Amino acid sequence: MKPLKCFVRGLKNTAGFLPESLMSLKKIFVESDTWQGVAFILALALILGTVSNLGLIKKFIAGEFNQAFISKDQFPGLVFISLEEAEDLWFNQKAVFIDSRSGYEYRQGHIPGAISIPLEEAKEKKGELLAIIPRERPLVLYCEGGNCLSSLSLARILHQSGFGNLRIFSGGWKEWTAAGLPVTKESEEQPER
Amino acid sequence: MSLKSKPILIVFRLIVGGVFIWAAVTKIADPLSFAQDVKNYRLVGQTLSFLTAIFLPWVELIAGVSLIIGIFPRSSALVISGLLVFFIILIAVTMIRGIDVDCGCFGTFSRKADFLLILEDSIWLIMSLVLLFSRENDFCLLKRKS
Repeated sequence: MKPLKCFVRGLKNTAGFLPESLMSLKKIFVESDTWQGVAFILALALILGTVSNLGLIKKFIAGEFNQAFISKDQFPGLVFISLEEAEDLWFNQKAVFIDSRSGYEYRQGHIPGAISIPLEEAKEKKGELLAIIPRERPLVLYCEGGNCLSSLSLARILHQSGFGNLRIFSGGWKEWTAAGLPVTKESEEQPER
Repeated sequence: MSLKSKPILIVFRLIVGGVFIWAAVTKIADPLSFAQDVKNYRLVGQTLSFLTAIFLPWVELIAGVSLIIGIFPRSSALVISGLLVFFIILIAVTMIRGIDVDCGCFGTFSRKADFLLILEDSIWLIMSLVLLFSRENDFCLLKRKS
């Protein structure tokens, strides 16, 4: 037990050498009203957070944000679509498909006819990239699938740029290929990006 | 740098408090966008992301305001230090996991969660720790009787 005693004595000595202007941990955490203050801050945050977001909390409970944190009032033209709907739009050429994955992933394989708008590039050179998207037709955005979020972020950017008719195919590339639907690979097409 | 210097401590309080107030206001302005930013870190699900977006900015705001005006300045410094430690670990873990995300720290003014951000947070953390441990950090605009 000797080393332990030494250690404790050492600690006490260190505490004795603490500069006067520094408070000891004990003083901060045990003797002063620090925790009272922390409780005050957290409680006030809880109250203000709840009161100021009552509308959003109601919408959340109603399940409006199950798929994404997008408010229908804020993004009226944004719709989430299933594989069947995406398939229908593609086969009947009723929409333009936008691939929000990286250029590399796009070249490895993508939905035929899809335009590659990698999210990162869309942020950097917005005007240039968005100019190639037809404005008059509905757009279907997709990314990898599963938990991928780039199509959603791209949808926000497009919405801000005035594109109103947006659909997000949340199943994405994974669901499309799993269903055995047509794909295009680099060797079959000459993608420019 | 003397920890006894009240003006320095007050400047630290204004800087750290100001950064937190600014960070909070940009998030409170658009909770849904911040919820999405939280979700992008891929650590928590939809519900926790939502709750974080609803409450965290308010914790930041109240801690920032309290620190500046001096209601529980030490508690505010503790809350802010705790949050900064959490943010630094979060960014580090996110970098290690190879996830490329916007930090979400300043709403639409956010940038990438990267090493520079860890450095920036570390500077705030050092200031905040100085405030937490300085005996002289008791300047209150609203004087309380102890």
